[in-house]
Amino acid sequence: MKVIEYLSQLDRRIVYLVLAFAVMLPLIIPSVQRVRVMTPVAKLFNAVDAIPDDRILMIDFDYDPQTLPEMEPMGIALLRHAFQKRIRVAALSLYVQPLGLAKRALDQVTEEFNQRATSYADSVIYGRDYVFLGWQPPPIVPLLGMGISITSVYTRDYYGYRTDSLPMMRRVRNFNDVGILVSLSGATAPLWWVAYSQTRFGVAVGAGITAVSASEFYQYYQTGQFSGLMIGMKGAAEYEELVETKLMLVDRRKASEALGSLTAAHLTMIAFIIIGNVGYFVRRRSRKGVVK
Amino acid sequence: MNITHDPWVWISGLLTICILSFLYRDNPFYKFAEHLFVGVANGYFLTFTVHRVLIPNLFSPLFNEGRLFFILPFMVGMLYVMRFITRVSWLVRIPIAVTIGYYTGAVIPATVQADIIRQIQGTILTPSNFQAWNAGSNGILWSVILFIGVVCTLSYFYFSREHKGVLGVTSRIGIIFIMIGFGAAFGYTVMARVSLLIGRFQFILGPWLGIIE
Repeated sequence: MKVIEYLSQLDRRIVYLVLAFAVMLPLIIPSVQRVRVMTPVAKLFNAVDAIPDDRILMIDFDYDPQTLPEMEPMGIALLRHAFQKRIRVAALSLYVQPLGLAKRALDQVTEEFNQRATSYADSVIYGRDYVFLGWQPPPIVPLLGMGISITSVYTRDYYGYRTDSLPMMRRVRNFNDVGILVSLSGATAPLWWVAYSQTRFGVAVGAGITAVSASEFYQYYQTGQFSGLMIGMKGAAEYEELVETKLMLVDRRKASEALGSLTAAHLTMIAFIIIGNVGYFVRRRSRKGVVK
Repeated sequence: MNITHDPWVWISGLLTICILSFLYRDNPFYKFAEHLFVGVANGYFLTFTVHRVLIPNLFSPLFNEGRLFFILPFMVGMLYVMRFITRVSWLVRIPIAVTIGYYTGAVIPATVQADIIRQIQGTILTPSNFQAWNAGSNGILWSVILFIGVVCTLSYFYFSREHKGVLGVTSRIGIIFIMIGFGAAFGYTVMARVSLLIGRFQFILGPWLGIIE
């Protein structure tokens, strides 16, 4: 009993230390984690996979450094999927902070493909295969304006080129030319795409969100307003699994590598919750005994 | 172990340690990193806004290209500054009114359609729900649970009558659904926060210290 009482009154810093070890050890000694793909992620993958040749994938990179570990693997997996299937991509951000992170993801995946490419046709070329539209505030302007004309909202791209001069954008006018828009956000951006762009222009919307906001977004998937959904690091790992198994594209899978740590951390947390609760009841019983 | 020589990775790593040091207790290193982050983020936002928004979208068309139509948004925007002059500070109401008017018009129909009508449609039981057991959230089982959950949870928030009789039963069931919702939200929150910690450890052990690939 004394052990339980001692454990239930542990200093919070010891709890942090144990959690840190639980997270670190599986990273240093990697273990194989089986990734079971859930329906929301499979639906998103299928929706992207089914984009016809005359339409594009639009990715809204709306995550910042605070949510980077969860969101970046989603963006990278989506870009790998699109480039492998030769689906053209238009990337953008509704906020200013994600711009650098969006560029980082685009640069990384472009480099991966171009290192493997054997010809110009195989390569991933800016302006032909993808464009980075950048940022155009306030968010309501692109949300509504792109339903009429994308190049009017984004007259210049992130690098300062005129968007109507880019070969890819000559055939892309508005949301009618977008197969699906996937919003990767640590906040509420996916709901804005649904409320404004989907309601008014009917564009299909998918979402990649942080785990903390999952319970807020699930109902939009249930109603069909989201064509698919990736939730947190687990969702990213599932998409990575689909890209590897269905497209035979083997690259570094950062979210899948983290699943061992995620499991270990969850087990540690569950253990602490049980210890804390058992300790609470033991102490309450012993206090009642003293009163009697 | 292959420690990096890249100074930027070192700066990033040391700032990570500064922030994590808060877990021990509040200290000057944490405060330094926190203030640096806020300052850099604001500076980045301000610079980007001037160079990528105000200059190409307003100053350049108005002053370089002579497109006089842009004088109207320029003047309305400048009225925001009037709040610093006491005598004419009331003028700030004009741009605020324009902004609120525009957003109210844009937001209300979109919100009603996406967040109210479609969500209510999603909870209505239709004959198609009863055609299959195993159709995800559209199968019989989950559709009925969803329907009961919505009705009972709403009844819990009905405070015009005492929670007795039928209302007492439904509101108690409603509490169970609410608690399950809180539990799921808490579980997801733990997952999210742990994911962020993993991301930092991936950086510390990887690019910085070179212990993992």
